[in-house]
Amino acid sequence: MKILNHYQKENITGYLFVLPQLLVFGLFLVYPIFEGIRLSFYQINYQSEKFVGFDNYVTLFNDPIFFKAIFNTVFFVVFIVLLTVLFALFVASSVFDKNAKYVTFIRGSYYIPVMVSMVVMSMVWSFLLNPANGLISYYTRELGLGNINLLGNPYTVMPVIVFVTFATNVGQSIILYIAAMIGVPKDLFEAAEVDGASRFQVIMKILIPSVKPITLYIIITNIIAVLKIFVVIQLLTGGGPNNASVTLMYYLYNNAFKFNQLGIASAVGVIMFIITLILSLPQLRSMLKDK
Amino acid sequence: MKKQKLKLRVERFDLISNGVVILFALLNLFPLYWLITSSFKNSTDVVKMPPDWWPATFTLSNYIDVFKNQPALKWTYNSIAVSLVTTFLVIIFSAMAAYAFSKLNFKGKNIIFIIFISSLMIPKEVMIVPLFRIVQDFGLVNQLSGMIWPNVASAFGVFMLKGFFDTTPNALREAATIDGASEVRTFTQIMLPIIKPGLGALFILSFVQVWNDYLWQLVVGQDKTVKTLMVGTATLMQDLNPNFAYKMAGATVAAIPMLIIFAIFQRYFTTGISAGAIKE
Repeated sequence: MKILNHYQKENITGYLFVLPQLLVFGLFLVYPIFEGIRLSFYQINYQSEKFVGFDNYVTLFNDPIFFKAIFNTVFFVVFIVLLTVLFALFVASSVFDKNAKYVTFIRGSYYIPVMVSMVVMSMVWSFLLNPANGLISYYTRELGLGNINLLGNPYTVMPVIVFVTFATNVGQSIILYIAAMIGVPKDLFEAAEVDGASRFQVIMKILIPSVKPITLYIIITNIIAVLKIFVVIQLLTGGGPNNASVTLMYYLYNNAFKFNQLGIASAVGVIMFIITLILSLPQLRSMLKDK
Repeated sequence: MKKQKLKLRVERFDLISNGVVILFALLNLFPLYWLITSSFKNSTDVVKMPPDWWPATFTLSNYIDVFKNQPALKWTYNSIAVSLVTTFLVIIFSAMAAYAFSKLNFKGKNIIFIIFISSLMIPKEVMIVPLFRIVQDFGLVNQLSGMIWPNVASAFGVFMLKGFFDTTPNALREAATIDGASEVRTFTQIMLPIIKPGLGALFILSFVQVWNDYLWQLVVGQDKTVKTLMVGTATLMQDLNPNFAYKMAGATVAAIPMLIIFAIFQRYFTTGISAGAIKE
């Protein structure tokens, strides 16, 4: 009887410790997922809801702007993640074995834009790129390229957003790589050096393979971060010109809070939820194995 | 002879790549330099081409305008309040749950933990419509608490702090229990102090994440006086005032608190970001 009580007591203590987090988690994270799925099958007008089955999804798949949003989002994911991983690997592998002060300086320089946030950085870039009196526009004119409006041209707007997002956020991945590379056992390098391997060979054959788990983590977290890319679109282009830079998150936001199409916005949310869930599976598996 | 040549080549490769790294680091900082220096220029100098690389006439009038025409102080207060309260709640709730998952035994522990972990990668933004309706039902639209609670729900802190609790020796906890300390006492007076570095890292990460949580704050804070600094500053972009320096001053005001925090706590960022990643 006493032992039983002891177990019961431990059970109750455990639940009490988890309870606060569990409550908020259930209310603001789990419940919205189910509610979002339900709403995606309804037409919503302020207080009235009407069940419409898959109508919202049908509407979506007949909207060319939705496909444009998917295409643009995939474009951003592929190019931003690729640039981020390659450049972060390059920076980290160049500096990880240097003295601590230098590493701190490099880490800081690349991380400051991350800290300052996408909002401020988007504002700065919009000033720099402003066709009338921006610094970049001035120099393109000086170089004899004429009046160039990089954000107003559907062919240049996408690469510009890729670059701005990449330049602002790459610092996060650089910090992760530097930490991981400093942790790689030194005897691995020494053996290779004795064998006469060059620095480039050591980096390619030993260093990069040793930080593979971090690479996987960086790829997945960056894919998911870019999937919900919003700030830079809203502040730099407003989805334009003529929807040329619209993304899924921007499309969702406009439907929900501009056009009051809550059912359609929920359907976009459900589609994005399913995509993130599938993308995070390999990472989840490795985390659970870790446990 | 041969070995010497190889070493030279290696060094040259290293030198060139570090040169490129430094060059890009400086280029990466240039937009911020441009922002801050421009914010001190007057309205004609700021659009002058070719540009002044350093303000020819140094003026504070843009800053005075920002604080006079906009409730920028209120926005700053809102941002600080939302970030601090969210972060404190995150730390308390996450530490409690992480402790239970790491050190206590209770039925269903593994299943609950797996559910927590599965949510880690899902951004709350994709469920922004139902989330907004819930917050609306609680009457929290246009309230700072409406910006706070959804961020407390994140399981990231639980995952991160469990890693820290896992590294603490069980013997310590057992000794305290034998001495007759209650579970709450053991938790607050023995275990929490041990994982202080973890709490510090979580504090910074959470604070910065909430500070920059633009989309959600944009949706919840609709009245001008409940906007946060990030959202309020962004509205300056649509402001009719044609003075660029004025907008730059607003953006600088939004940037400065984070720059200060970074300067003070740089060390914690590195630990924090790395501790949040998976272990090899």
